[in-house]
Amino acid sequence: MASTEASKNKLASLTDCMTRVAEQRDKSAFAELFDHYAPQLRAYSLAREPGADLVADELVQEVMTRVWLKADKFDSRLANLNTWIFTLARNCRVDYLRRNSRYVTEIDPTDIFDNIEYEGPSPFQMAHQSRAEERIRAGLKALPREQSEILTTVYLEGKSHQQASEELQLPLGTVKSRVRLALKKLEVLVER
Amino acid sequence: MEKVSNHPADELLAAYSAGSLPLSQALCIAAHLEHCHSCMHELQQLNRVGTELMQQLEPAPTAEHLKQDLLARLDSLEDDIPDTTTTVAADSSIPRCLRQFVASDYQSLRWKRVSPGIQTVELCRDSNGARVELLKIKPGSSAVTHSHSGDEYTVILEGSFSDEHGLYRQGDFVVKHVNDRHTPVATLDRECICLAVTEGPIQLTGFLGRLLNPFLRRSHA
Repeated sequence: MASTEASKNKLASLTDCMTRVAEQRDKSAFAELFDHYAPQLRAYSLAREPGADLVADELVQEVMTRVWLKADKFDSRLANLNTWIFTLARNCRVDYLRRNSRYVTEIDPTDIFDNIEYEGPSPFQMAHQSRAEERIRAGLKALPREQSEILTTVYLEGKSHQQASEELQLPLGTVKSRVRLALKKLEVLVER
Repeated sequence: MEKVSNHPADELLAAYSAGSLPLSQALCIAAHLEHCHSCMHELQQLNRVGTELMQQLEPAPTAEHLKQDLLARLDSLEDDIPDTTTTVAADSSIPRCLRQFVASDYQSLRWKRVSPGIQTVELCRDSNGARVELLKIKPGSSAVTHSHSGDEYTVILEGSFSDEHGLYRQGDFVVKHVNDRHTPVATLDRECICLAVTEGPIQLTGFLGRLLNPFLRRSHA
């Protein structure tokens, strides 16, 4: 499990950069974060809009700007840095789509996403955090192709279930049940 | 936090986590999350799925000038993203996600009477045309029996109501699909306030409903 060890060390060093940004406004630490995350963010944007380089650059700038401005809001006890960056990227994408939609809505996504989900899990859940990540990573690799495809469509391409059903030419019910099956296999569903 | 018993489906929560849900539906999910620990926990897991998927993408290198430009601008960046966690009184019972529409309290909104027991106030429309509104049902009052021409998402904000299928309390998340029929009745102890998102015009059934239907359709257009 050398790669797991390496990714843990990488995350620890990035988290350290984040602390330096928050506490000392350290620009070289920020540059390190940029070097690591910008190519990921760009890939995330291009997954939704292939070839849209300007949109991808805009997302990178938007997310990294928030990293700088919101650095003091990041708390490694509440979420790991990779997940924090993912939620920032997702929020920026939602905001971009809203601004560029044909029919504009007044609904402000800031209050829907930014401050809602960062309430923090219990210490018990946090103890299991890194194990959960390894399990999800391994689980994703083991998913049948049709199930990983649907997760990619929803999470990375940002398609609604309706759009996914049109694109993949599947009934809406099949799209929903595939998402559910995939999540079940990843063992991320909570007994409710 | 009391235990909530009606939750959004897993795939709906996943779409919220992915950011691929219409904002009106995301608003309902957020209102539910503020009442529901277990959905919040599941959401954190779902966010990890998104995180791993993003990490597995082939990184797309950025032009060096992008970094240099941003580094040069860092000192002049200003935080213009409002931080709602600190601007609102902590004792407010209004879910954080609704404070963009409800500044102080529900009662001071401009409610419109639609029947002796029911008042509504439209908060906004989503870009897909869905109507976002609050409903206020007097204790013991019944809404007209209706079916739906599109999906309807409801979150109970205060009080409780019941219909043919069960009893719904604060925080409960209820979806009615196309052609589902139901007759919601507020419970007797207090009035019930709900957040409701309707995708298409509601079809009223029953005698009064048939009379009202043409008006409703027009008001939804």
